[in-house]
Amino acid sequence: MAKNNILEMRSITKTFPGVVALSDVTFHVEEGEIHFIVGENGAGKSTLMKILSGIHGPGTYSGDIVFEGEVVSFNGIKDSVNAGIVIINQELALFPDLTVYENVFVGHEIKTRYGLVDWKKTREETKRYLDLVGLKIDIDTHVGSLGVGQQQLVEIAKALSQNVKLLILDEPTAALNEDDSANLLQLLINLKKEGVTSIMISHKLKEATEVADSITVLRDGKTISRLEKNEIDEAIIIKHMVGREIEDIFPKRPKYEPQDVVLETINFNAYDKNKNRYVVTNSNIRLHRGEVVGISGLIGAGRTELAHSIFGNPKNYKTSGGIFINGKLVNLNTPQRAIDHGIAYVSEDRKGNGLILSETIGENITLSALQKISRYGILNEMKQSSEAEKYVRNLNIRTPSIFQRIRNLSGGNQQKVQIGKWLFSEPSILILDEPTRGIDVGSKFEIYTIINDLIARGMSILLISSELPEILGMCDRIYVLAEGVQTAEFTMAEATAEKIMEKATI
Amino acid sequence: MKKMNPVVRYFLKIISNTRTNIRDYGMYIALAVIFLVFSILTNGLFLGPINFTNLLNQTGYVAVLAVGMTLVIVTRQIDLSVGFLGAFLGAYIVVEVENLGTSVWYAIIVAILITVVIGFVKGILIARVNVPSFVVTLAGMFIFKGMLLLKTDSTTTPSSNNFFRTIGVGYLSDMKVGNFNLLTLIVGALAVITIVTLSIMKYRHNKKLELKQTELSMLITQIVVVVFIILFLTYNLAVYKGISYLVLITIMVVAIYHFFTTKTVLGRRIYAVGGNPEAAELSGINVYRIIIFVFVSMGVLTLIAGLMYVSMLRTANPNYGISWELYAIAATYIGGTSAQGGVGKVINAFVGAIVIMSIQNGMKLAGFPSNIEPIVLGGVLLLAVVFDIYTRNVRSIDLVGVSYAKQKYHDEFVEIKDKYIQAKQALKLADQTDNIKILELEFELTKAQGEYNQLKDRIRTAKEEDFLNVI
Repeated sequence: MAKNNILEMRSITKTFPGVVALSDVTFHVEEGEIHFIVGENGAGKSTLMKILSGIHGPGTYSGDIVFEGEVVSFNGIKDSVNAGIVIINQELALFPDLTVYENVFVGHEIKTRYGLVDWKKTREETKRYLDLVGLKIDIDTHVGSLGVGQQQLVEIAKALSQNVKLLILDEPTAALNEDDSANLLQLLINLKKEGVTSIMISHKLKEATEVADSITVLRDGKTISRLEKNEIDEAIIIKHMVGREIEDIFPKRPKYEPQDVVLETINFNAYDKNKNRYVVTNSNIRLHRGEVVGISGLIGAGRTELAHSIFGNPKNYKTSGGIFINGKLVNLNTPQRAIDHGIAYVSEDRKGNGLILSETIGENITLSALQKISRYGILNEMKQSSEAEKYVRNLNIRTPSIFQRIRNLSGGNQQKVQIGKWLFSEPSILILDEPTRGIDVGSKFEIYTIINDLIARGMSILLISSELPEILGMCDRIYVLAEGVQTAEFTMAEATAEKIMEKATI
Repeated sequence: MKKMNPVVRYFLKIISNTRTNIRDYGMYIALAVIFLVFSILTNGLFLGPINFTNLLNQTGYVAVLAVGMTLVIVTRQIDLSVGFLGAFLGAYIVVEVENLGTSVWYAIIVAILITVVIGFVKGILIARVNVPSFVVTLAGMFIFKGMLLLKTDSTTTPSSNNFFRTIGVGYLSDMKVGNFNLLTLIVGALAVITIVTLSIMKYRHNKKLELKQTELSMLITQIVVVVFIILFLTYNLAVYKGISYLVLITIMVVAIYHFFTTKTVLGRRIYAVGGNPEAAELSGINVYRIIIFVFVSMGVLTLIAGLMYVSMLRTANPNYGISWELYAIAATYIGGTSAQGGVGKVINAFVGAIVIMSIQNGMKLAGFPSNIEPIVLGGVLLLAVVFDIYTRNVRSIDLVGVSYAKQKYHDEFVEIKDKYIQAKQALKLADQTDNIKILELEFELTKAQGEYNQLKDRIRTAKEEDFLNVI
């Protein structure tokens, strides 16, 4: 039985200066389905959703949006929300210092007869919507103190309170752990019964195969295919996304032969004074020369905190226990000390604390070791240019020149700059924190290849990742953390996704 | 396709370059306009040797403050206390010398110690205790105002000390060749030689590394313009009294800070902290120390500015220091420094200071009542920042390429434009009751509009290089 199309976008073409972001994109979503839009970074998914939600208003694109059988044109989010289309972005639009009920109704407050805010009704309604999304928390809680998963549910409650008909979620599970993700997906299935249609943009194809009723694949700003429920298959999606078949996402490297220990933590603890709790408890990890060791665990398991503690403790945790480098106890109390000991840390948040967006590629790459391009504190710009050129070439960073500012690069290229920045400091121990988060399949493969190159040259790598396939595909040994505690250690031969998940959810 | 006439091409390239780099050139163009307007209003008096020398002398203390303020704002901070601190330090030195008979150098050394300690305290409160710099320096503003009143005993203290006379109204050397001050001519000549050599060195370096760079004709044009400005400056100063100590100090401060911010490790670290404090921290930079350094540097420059001011007027006065910080901040913003941090040039802050003082000086000279001046100044500040925001995303344009592209796509363009106009007409004339028909026509129209915009964009972004093998 053919259902009605709640949404149809026809021949959407959108150009930005010098680039065609979308060219003749056509797709439709049927009423009451969960529709996935997938594609590599830069395929145009977000641009398409910005057009749909009115951020790119009429006149800036060509083509038609047909919503519930009528051609519509939205000038800004307010219009699209009034029509019943709500978009929830990756970066949540919540106010951390306001309470849950204030957040749910901010912007569309319930008013009394006199035009004042009707707080009583607001609270009642908020409770109702929280029940609907299955969130059992006090509505007086400040949103900032909630976990990311719970915040997402608050956003959805907010969307429901705006009489949403079509809910768009942009990478909703990117920052969620497996439990919260599963919860969210179940919620979407439940909402289907309430008559809410949803569009999901996601990199996680497993989710798509599990819950999608249909999928649109975009590539290079064009629609490649629409897959119906019975046609959905991970291999086919990947093939359509990248336009080629990827035999093996993880490049092979020779089997690891044990060598010396380069980094070791012994009974190491870190206490976060701001959060009033231990973020790392009794950590005992070992990293050998030429080895890739994975740190696996859910969000909040203390993986990044462990990395920070090793990399000079910039958050000033109270620490106890010892960190040993090449068998010697070291005091790593500033990032500079850690760098001096040959440690480098590629941050999970490349825009937030990894790179300086307002500066150029050359300036960013050399920042980790300015002494290499200077004498008596005076910079040698010639050396800076030639060094930066070298890294741009070796890491295959795609840019017109090293004078390009970071903010103008794609995610994958930014990540490669971040890696280049840390290779420039010539480390012997490299900590990679979520090195492939939010970047496309092609760039991922390149980063895995870089990892193998570095290992071949004798570097040792700690790889923190939320993606189990990545951990399983790239590591020689794996530690699992749960709530700051190290719960398991696996060799590559022993490890399976099931075993890791079991230990991560203790 | 026909090759373009080289003269036409040259001018198109100049316009393209200016439009592409309008953010960098905007302020200079504005300054040129201000100079021109006041020259006309004052029958040339404004740019004459005497007034021009005066203008540069008056600009000194604001320029020095603006240089320090650039670093403060680049690191995402603000310093409201520099006005009264500068006036207090200046008054301290004058009063010590006049009333207590201490030697000038001794007073200056004590003043340096005072200002360095104050800089440390400000830096520690801001970077370690996390008090917003606005609050810390607002408190400082009150405190230093009080200290100024205490030190001057709320009265004017004139000084006849030679030191202040030399700094305030003295000139470097009065040796003359004909009508010209010899030293000034030498300095001017040296400046020209340095600029030309540096440009050639940079060009060679870029060529060696095969970096993309401006073509030779553009580079020569740039050099010619800069040399012309230097020659104008030199002439104007040389026919009057030459280079004053005030101008010397200003130029030295600007030159040292320019070198320091662009060529040293510490300079790079300051900009890194401004661009992203967390990333800087994780790159091994001690953010706390950088902030302290910036406030200590601001303090030392405040002392220099204060000393320049009291020397210029050879008095300590309880009414000095009012609004200095505002002029310095305004000069910094007019110079294009970003409030978001990490972006801003010392040289541009200097030019910003000249813009402000030109307006002040020019309006006085042209006989405007003095109460209009702040209004004009406020307007200029707003204009400058609005201009900066509007030009933030300026796209590069190559008019030579555009011109070739216009030839190449001419027929296609006419056709698509016609189609677009027809689609518009068709929709206008269509039967308004026939919904399906209207939908179809709307669809046609948006499609035609899309094609039209795409082609326009392709022409707009065309580069000369794309046509090299066609010509």
